[in-house]
Amino acid sequence: MMIKTKKGQGSILLISVLLLILWVIPAQAVIEGLTDTTANPIFNLTAKADHITTGEGSSVLIWGYANGTARAQYPGPTMIVNQGATVTINLTNALTEHPVSMVFPGHDVVAEGGTARLLTQEALPGSTPDNGEVTYTFTATEPGTYTYYSGTNMDLQVEMGLLGAIIVRPTDFAIGTPSTFQAYNDEVVDPNINIRPDSAYDHEYLYLITEMDPRIHNLVEFGRMDEIDTTTFYPVYWFINGRNFPDTVTAAYAPQLPVQPYNAFFMMHPGQRMLIRWVGAGRDGHPIHLHGNNFSVIAKDGRLLSTDVATAGADLAYSRYTQNVMPGETVDAIFTWSGYKLGWDMYGHPPGSPPGDMEPFEYALDHGKPLPVTMPAVGTFTAGALFSGSPFLGGSGFLPPGEGALNNFGGYFYVWHSHHEKEIVNNDIFIGGMIGLMVVAPRNVGVDIPTMPTL
Amino acid sequence: MSHYKNYSWLPLVALLLLLGAAPAMAHFNEQCPPDTDGVDTDGDGIDDNDHLCIQLGSGDGFSVMADGKVQYMFGFSDYGGLKNAGGDPNIQGATPAERPDEDDPELMGNMWNDSTNPGNMLGANFPSPKIEMREGQMLYLTLSNIGMMMRPDLFDPHTVHGHGFSEASSTFDGVPGASLSVNMGSSFTYFYNLFEPGTLAYHCHVEATEHMQMGMLGQFYVKPKQDQLVLRGLISSESVQGFTKFVYNDGDGATGYDVAYPLQLHSFDPDFHDASLEVQPLPFAMMDDRYPMINGRGYPDTANPADLINQEGFAAQNENALITATKGQRVLLRLTSMSTTDTFTLTIPGIPMTVVGLGSRILRTDGDPAGARELIYTTNSVSVSGGQGVDVILDTADIEPGTYFLHTTNLNHLSNHNEDYGGMMTQIVIQ
Repeated sequence: MMIKTKKGQGSILLISVLLLILWVIPAQAVIEGLTDTTANPIFNLTAKADHITTGEGSSVLIWGYANGTARAQYPGPTMIVNQGATVTINLTNALTEHPVSMVFPGHDVVAEGGTARLLTQEALPGSTPDNGEVTYTFTATEPGTYTYYSGTNMDLQVEMGLLGAIIVRPTDFAIGTPSTFQAYNDEVVDPNINIRPDSAYDHEYLYLITEMDPRIHNLVEFGRMDEIDTTTFYPVYWFINGRNFPDTVTAAYAPQLPVQPYNAFFMMHPGQRMLIRWVGAGRDGHPIHLHGNNFSVIAKDGRLLSTDVATAGADLAYSRYTQNVMPGETVDAIFTWSGYKLGWDMYGHPPGSPPGDMEPFEYALDHGKPLPVTMPAVGTFTAGALFSGSPFLGGSGFLPPGEGALNNFGGYFYVWHSHHEKEIVNNDIFIGGMIGLMVVAPRNVGVDIPTMPTL
Repeated sequence: MSHYKNYSWLPLVALLLLLGAAPAMAHFNEQCPPDTDGVDTDGDGIDDNDHLCIQLGSGDGFSVMADGKVQYMFGFSDYGGLKNAGGDPNIQGATPAERPDEDDPELMGNMWNDSTNPGNMLGANFPSPKIEMREGQMLYLTLSNIGMMMRPDLFDPHTVHGHGFSEASSTFDGVPGASLSVNMGSSFTYFYNLFEPGTLAYHCHVEATEHMQMGMLGQFYVKPKQDQLVLRGLISSESVQGFTKFVYNDGDGATGYDVAYPLQLHSFDPDFHDASLEVQPLPFAMMDDRYPMINGRGYPDTANPADLINQEGFAAQNENALITATKGQRVLLRLTSMSTTDTFTLTIPGIPMTVVGLGSRILRTDGDPAGARELIYTTNSVSVSGGQGVDVILDTADIEPGTYFLHTTNLNHLSNHNEDYGGMMTQIVIQ
């Protein structure tokens, strides 16, 4: 059934994609967040209430961790540190009625200050740096992808949004030096097979998934706490990095989403390696399907799938096309795409094109091979908003009036989404929810996502 | 049949409406060029038979649940008679199915007047036709959008999106927003170079939540070149443990099997299907699947190998789900799920399950047959979420003859809606 809201969503998408393309400037291809590369990083977080905007335009109360005096964030700030660092997180609480705390699965944490409770030290409502602040300290001994969330009344507080991600970079990682970009400390095992370590990448992206039952949030907002029953949790919103589609493909730090700074728009050039850091930060598992190719699952919960990291690489890695990311779990995967063995020349080189005209990573035996089928006549198909009009990468072609138009650089767009398709909906309105976009861009189009200044 | 409503008058009304709305041209446009490259790419030793041409129709129809409930559905139909064309290496070729009316220019390939397929109106299958393919073949998959007869108010395009194709171009990926979708009365030919074997699956990606819940999904699988090379004696039988059929190019028979059962898992929410038929707002948020199925059937229909005939007299559900084998055989279960709501865990009390493949790749390092480590393992349960695929082999060498049950351990799904002792379960008969 064609949906009534399609036009409206199309224009949102148009604005989003235009913004994104206009904003593409050379920058570090790293995950947005609070990066502190020192040996003793200190993060000052405050639990606060605020409102997020959902994909269909509603407003929902959340509790989130804020960076210092800034507004709350959903998810909380992604804290990025180096292996071996002694990490300090000072937590204060600007909520008026509820104590909060933080737990850091995978890390050996010392908690001081505040009030001792069942799982950890809690910051009471209204606590400040001078009064009742809790300090969590741990050493980031192992690189990888981790999560953090509230350790207080968790069934409610994680639902409300007190959650986030931590990334620990391996010892040799250096911002701005692509040759050091890898997720773990593995090395090339056999130079005849791989020229780069199994966890090496060109681009990395966070893919943190959550879901929400707005009835709970409304009861909190109206102060009807006694009526909240988290056992009847029935989510109708599904998020990647705190946003629903189509907001997921709006630029990071978009001003219209002040509480949801992170996006889910992934870009690469053919032949590059993309690291996906999945975090199951909500309460349900979600099978995330990546269009375009299989991927290798190389790590879980901050540990390389390996019999010996130094000598064997990710020798326990496996390949698949849909990963079920479960609550509390992190999964790292490497995705590559080059158009290998398509059976036709995706760059549209004419037959007889000399080998010297080949693109990097182009499959030589397909060079100059024509498209095996004739593209259909206008009128027999409906063109998608992100269809360039051409089957070729970097191509363009005639499109019916009013169709296509958002992909004037001829990128190959793919949806990366939950394959429990109920979850690509925003509160009963299709389409939305847990969908991100990945684009394989021609080489003349920049693929570095802009980032905001770090700490 | 207590849930059955008589809609038999509706198709006539709908047909009249549909014909009134039909574009002037509603002819198939099948693209199936001959294989003239002079190279044998699928390993059978024949140079000119590597193009595999499949025709699928997309439309609507009815299925019957195990408790008698009639479900309206959208679906793909086997349109052109090349279903399982890969089964016999001698019948594969580049020629599309001949249609008796091809000499009649008025009727030739007309979607709504094809005498070879009178059931194409309301001819949707559930699950969608299984398609057997071979590594090395070039797949020309033509989708012809027949239209939805019970919903003449809809002019939905359709697509085919595949799971497990390596390095898919977005052009043929079937995502309507990212490429193109096929209008009603038109055809589009997808092209894939099948250079990796495996268990794949496909579904329509247009308005995916709706079209998949409504049933537009099925399985296809690509048999490895190793099958052909063993058949032709180019790989010695001893080196592959005497097997002649394999899931992957394992090189050592680790994925060898004797009999295979492709099993497509899915589940229906009857409220959603009824709302669709009755042209009501669709319950996306309240979607709650209560008809869990294997190959389009709930138990005990799964134990019945015959086609299920719907009230139109059409065998919409024509995929067998009853598993039979002889003691000593290795039985391959190709499991793919397209549930839009649930993860299903499956077990077989009494028969261990050996997981040899995941996500259309062999379970070795990085899914590579030459990978550093064997990751194949034996277990008593496997979980399959929507959009996932798993290859399981049952070794019956030590299994006593008898009847066993493959069933979900999500016990609430062992029912056909309100009827208990049903749902996602079938029999395995070892003789």
